[in-house]
Formats: sequence, C-alpha cells, structure tokens
Amino acid sequence: MLKREVAKRVFAREFETCRALEMPVRAGGEKASSGDLKTPNLLLSPSGLVLNRVFVVGVITELDCVGAQNEMWKARIVDPTGAFTVYAGQYQPDASIFFSTVEIPAFIALTGKARIYEPEPGSVFVSVRAEEVNVVDEEIRNRWVVDTAEQTVERLEVFSDAVESGSRDEELLEYLLEKGVSGELAEGISLALERMRAPEEFTKLLGVFVKEALQALEFDSENSAGADGDRKEFVLELLREMDGGKGVDYAAFLEAAVSRGVPEELVEDVVRSLFAGGQCYEPRIGIIRLVG
Amino acid sequence: MDEKNAPHIEELTRALGEVNKNRIRAEFEKLLAFRVPPEVAKESILRKFGGVQRTLKVNGLSANLKSFEITGRILELNEKLLRPQERGGEEVRGEVPEKSRDKSGCRSGEGDGESLDKGRKGASKLYTGVFADETGSVLFSSWKELPPAGEVIHVRNAYTRLWQNRIRLNIGDHSSVSKLPDSTLPSLSELARTPEKKLGEIGAADFSVSTVACVLQLSHRDVMVRGRQCHMISGVLADETARLPFTAWVELPGIDIGSIIRLEDAQVRMFKGVPSVNILKGTGISKPGSEDAEKLAFTFESVKTAPAPLKMEEVASRDGMFDVVIAGNVISVKPGSGIISRCPECGRVVQKGSCRVHGKVDGVRDMRIKAVLDDGTEAVSVMFSRELAEMIYGKTLEEAEALMFSDISKDAVYEDLRRILTGRYLAVRGNASKNEYGVSFVAESVWVPEADLAVRVVELLHRLDSLGAGNAQGLEDPNQGGCGQVHGPDYDSETADSTGGRGFA
Repeated sequence: MLKREVAKRVFAREFETCRALEMPVRAGGEKASSGDLKTPNLLLSPSGLVLNRVFVVGVITELDCVGAQNEMWKARIVDPTGAFTVYAGQYQPDASIFFSTVEIPAFIALTGKARIYEPEPGSVFVSVRAEEVNVVDEEIRNRWVVDTAEQTVERLEVFSDAVESGSRDEELLEYLLEKGVSGELAEGISLALERMRAPEEFTKLLGVFVKEALQALEFDSENSAGADGDRKEFVLELLREMDGGKGVDYAAFLEAAVSRGVPEELVEDVVRSLFAGGQCYEPRIGIIRLVG
Repeated sequence: MDEKNAPHIEELTRALGEVNKNRIRAEFEKLLAFRVPPEVAKESILRKFGGVQRTLKVNGLSANLKSFEITGRILELNEKLLRPQERGGEEVRGEVPEKSRDKSGCRSGEGDGESLDKGRKGASKLYTGVFADETGSVLFSSWKELPPAGEVIHVRNAYTRLWQNRIRLNIGDHSSVSKLPDSTLPSLSELARTPEKKLGEIGAADFSVSTVACVLQLSHRDVMVRGRQCHMISGVLADETARLPFTAWVELPGIDIGSIIRLEDAQVRMFKGVPSVNILKGTGISKPGSEDAEKLAFTFESVKTAPAPLKMEEVASRDGMFDVVIAGNVISVKPGSGIISRCPECGRVVQKGSCRVHGKVDGVRDMRIKAVLDDGTEAVSVMFSRELAEMIYGKTLEEAEALMFSDISKDAVYEDLRRILTGRYLAVRGNASKNEYGVSFVAESVWVPEADLAVRVVELLHRLDSLGAGNAQGLEDPNQGGCGQVHGPDYDSETADSTGGRGFA
C-alpha cells in the first residue's frame, strides 16, 4: 500500500538527536514485506519516535544561499527548544521559491523529510529537506507547540512505563502492544533502549524542555499576561501589608504568597523587578524592604 | 541430485506436516529445473503451502489477508455449480441456480455423488455460506467440499478478499480443511443468534445485527428498483458510540426523528467501508419501554450534538467511518485543487474538454480543494466541495476565475490556494473511507477549531510533573532573569550545533 507518510510533530531538541534506523527483519509480521525499495529513510529518536516526514512551525531566523553550481537554500527555524536546519535545492522548487522571497523573521509552517549526514563516525548532522513551506500566524505556531508537546508527553509516558517494566526486546514489545501502544512506537522504544546512547537521561531532559516550552507559551499569550498582571498587583499588595515599613523576611513572605495560590516563580519575578526598579532593597541578607 | 535435495525436502515435509512428501518433492524439483536457487525455492514452497501461520478469530479478519488458520462452525452452506463456458474455451464462469444445502434441508453427501462426478468434468463447484466462531460470523466461499452445516472445522491456509464491499473468508485450492469435535465451539443455535452490537462495533464482518439506537434523521423517498416503484425510508441512526446511515424497505409506523428503536436481525451492508443498517421484512422493530430507555447510555439530546473529534489514527484503523470529526494541519494542497470543469451529464471532472464517459462536452465551471490534513498520528486526504472551498479559501468561484484570467500562469489559483491554506489548522466533519492510498475524507462542514490551548497547557504541565520533569536548574535561581529559555546541559555535544555542517548527503 502506497500510503502517504505521516508528518510527525517533534521538537528541535529531540530531532537533532535522531539517528538512522535500520529496520530489523520482522518474522511473520505483515510489515515484513515492506523492506522493499520504497521504504523511506527512517530515523529513530532517543524516546522511541520513528520518523521520516516532519511538520514544523517556528520562526525563521536565518537564511543563506549556499551551493556553488545550483541554488541551495539553508534556513534556520527556531522552536521553543532549539532550531531545525532546513535545506531546499533545485529538486524542491516550491520551497526554493518560497525561501527566495520570505522576509525574516517570520512564523513559518514547513513539511519536509528528515535527512541525516554523517561525514565521519561520531559526527552526525540531522536536517530537514523542505517539501512545502508557508507563512503562518502566531496562533498556528502556539497550537503546534501544544500539539507537539502533547504528542511528546504521550510518548514520554509510554517510554517511562517501558523503562519501569524492566523488560527488554521481544518481551518489552509484547508488554507495550498488550497495553495498546502502536506497533511503531513499541518497536521504536524497544530499539531506542537497545541502541541509543543514554536514552533515559535524554528523555528526562526532554521533559524539562517541553515544560519550559509550554511555560514560555503561557507568558506569551495575552490572557495569561492579564491574569499575571493581576497576580503581580496582588504580590505587591501583600508585600506592602507584611512590610509595615520595617521590612519582611523573604522566606516568610514567599511562604505566605504561595499559601495564597501565587506560584513561586511569579513571586520571585515580582521581587526581582522591584529590586531592578529600585523600589525595594535588602537591608540585611534575607530581609527585603519597600522603599518609601 | 536427489541426495542433494533430500535434506531440503525433509525440512519442508517437517515444516508443512500435512502436505504429501511426493507433492513437495515434485514442486521442489520443478522449481530447481527452472534454475531457482534451492533456498528461494524452499521459501516459495513454504509460502505456497503455508508454513508458519497465524491463527485468527473471525473478528480479527480484515480484507486481503493471506494464509492464516481459523476454526469455526459452518452455520449455513450452499453450493453453486460453476461451468466454464465451452465456446472458445473462454474462462467465463456461468452460474447454475443454487442448490440449497441449508441446515434445515441438509442432504447427505452420497445423494449428490452423481452430480458431483458430472460437475468435475468441466465445471467446478463453489460452496458458500456462513462461518462463525464465538467472536462473530463471516461469509465464506470455498472451492473445496466441506462437511455439512453445523460441523466445526479447522481451516489452514485460508485467505480473505473483499467481495461486494465486505470481507469474505476464502477456502482455496491450497487450503486444507479438517473436522474438529463438536464441543470445541459453542452450539449452533448459540452461534447463529444475531449478535447484539453497538453501532460503533458494526464492521465489515457483520452481516446481520441487533441493536438499539436513536433515529437522528429520517426521510421518505420513492425509488425505482428493477423497474418497480418502491417506497423507502432512509436516515441516520446514532448511539453513544457512532452514527450510521440506515434504510428501511418497510413502513416504520410511529417512528420519527428522536425515537429510540430496537432492531433485531437488521441486515448490514457495506459501502466504501462504511456499514449501513438495512431494515427489511424480517427485521424485528420495537420501541423499548421508558424504563429500558432510561438505562441506555444515550438520549436523543446526547447524540444529536456534534461528535467529538477523533485522532486520525483512530479513523485510519477502520475501513470507513460515518459522520466523524477530525482536525489537523493542512500539510499539502494537492494538484487538481482550484477551478475545474465538470461534465454537465455526469458531474465527472472534464480534462482537455472531454469527459471520460460522454466525450466532448461543454464543461461546467466548479471549484474544489483536495488537501492533506495531518495531526501527527495519520495523514488524511480531505475533499472540499465548492461551498466549503469558497469558505476556507476566502474567495468565491467568480473571484478565483478573475484571478485565473488575470494571471499568465495557469496555476495561479492553485498557487494562491497553497499560499492561503498550507499550514492552517482546520477541523472537518464528514465521512471517511480507506483505500489503497490511505484514508480519504469527504468534508460536509469545516471550521477553525477554537484554541483551547491554555487548558491543554495546564493539563500537560500536570502530566509532565507526574513524569518527574522538574525545572532546569536555572529557573530555581532567583537571581537569574526571566522565565524564558534556559538551556540545560547539552545532551549530545557533537550534534548540538547541527547548523554547522552540510545536512544533506
């Protein structure tokens, strides 16, 4: 069946750690026959994602025309975790025309195929060869971040479950399939655990990156900025109340604010901006005092 | 030669158990005579006779499966005499009226001896009927003679085909059939009972079901069937699992939109992978009492609201789905989108002024969009009619025509479409069906879904916390500015700067 390949959603940070995947010959399975010439070049990520085509929405920040004889565009597309390197050459005419006219920076949506280049052992370059590109708006970018985060989290959950199960190879495959995990992901995770370098450490790190990507998003959006403004006001009010002209113990203040439902980071943010603006100072270590 | 082949043949005989050793030898030597390498010959013989086979249940069958094992009970058995037509030795098979060997009037095999012999001269016999196990039942065709209806059989090397849009179990020349003791499966009467199913569970393996559902739409039509005027009712049924179209060829007194009905022995038909429920003379129709209706997991109010969006992989796991919602990014706008001209007779697309069926015609201008939507789990090809195309494109057919005539490039509209649509996020509602190129979807409506991002972000952060993803160290430090990107240690230093090299080979 000549099915169109799914465009995977993946963050740059995970994409750049992908390695070429040679599919093992599966015995008896239906897919065993797909080892023919039409099999795409598959890549495997440390968290077990098997990919070839990807769909990326990000900011185009750099664009170069490289290549000696033929025109070849090289672009850098940034997402909240890192950057994708994208190429478009004479065999990608639509994408090339796009790159020759696009203004930088801009939000762009891009579909392309993952390429891997290994000039010498141990040095690997992963890039995207563009198929279709277009300028989009910020809302589509934000949705891509959330969609990609969602699919990454789903995968990380399965991965962590797989690690906890303690099984490997065939046994792990069976365990995952039993749980309703798709054959592709089950196989990907099993292979990642077997072949990738330190996949467990990477997935932990990836979780942190996804979290930061999502947090950065919320600070960007207007609604939450409004809500944050209110909460900042609240923090300042609370500080005035507790300060009483004599200063307040920072740890006690932090505790009081958190107990009223204000996130720690936000309290720190507000205090930092007060310091920066000269509105408060630290008469003794650990004590903060409002000016005036 | 013989001695060299002996180990191979020995191995094959062991692997294939039931197959005659001489037959294996003959096949093997025939292949070797054509200079097929022994290893390859072995493989193809194994494939032919079916070496390692999967054992399937009826509900696990899908179209075009090859060589599997299955056990079941024959519920119904008919035989058809197929005769190749004598003239010109053409391989056209003429059908002779069916001779029923149903469970009621089951005749013993000997009585047929004479006709069997006669049949073997130039004709072959096809046995058809119903085959069932505890998971469901399926229609079958067999080129082998089978035990009478009611017996439990085990089939090796069976295969499936799609026939009249539905799965059919086939027992061919290479299949082997053995009888099993009666006690291996539930009794005939138990298996023959029509299964009670939710609409979402009805698939290509069902041909008769009982169900309880709510009527969502209903309309009366007069149609011509074989030259006779017929009155029929068509509409849509729904329960908490799915919606399905239905047709009724009998009157449905007292039943209208909003009624909850219980159907018994309704027939299932397949069209483009989508099942439809057929209410015929033999179908039992009743309305459940108000007490029973309360116990149901759905009400008219709950099923008439728009269905919730499905993941595309869920849609792709089925042969077809009726009235579902999917959402994803427009990954690609396919060629053939834009302004087209249609044959005034049949509505087919006219290419170079000529219709495939009606020849040279004056085409009627129309607009359509074929786009690939992808949600990261599957890619679906979606068709938008003119009305929907104008909506998402933001230009009417007339405006698009103006653009087409004002530009030198004949692809102006297509290029414009790509510029406007590629990357956009859309939700569509309509029917899905699977073909050899994947899932195709005909949109009935389209919209830009509301961005419920804030809610999802909160939920995802929560899930990340349960995974134990803490903040990177930088965020813990109050002296460091901002909550923006803080980069943790590079996982893989060689690739961290992937922009530095040429990324193509």
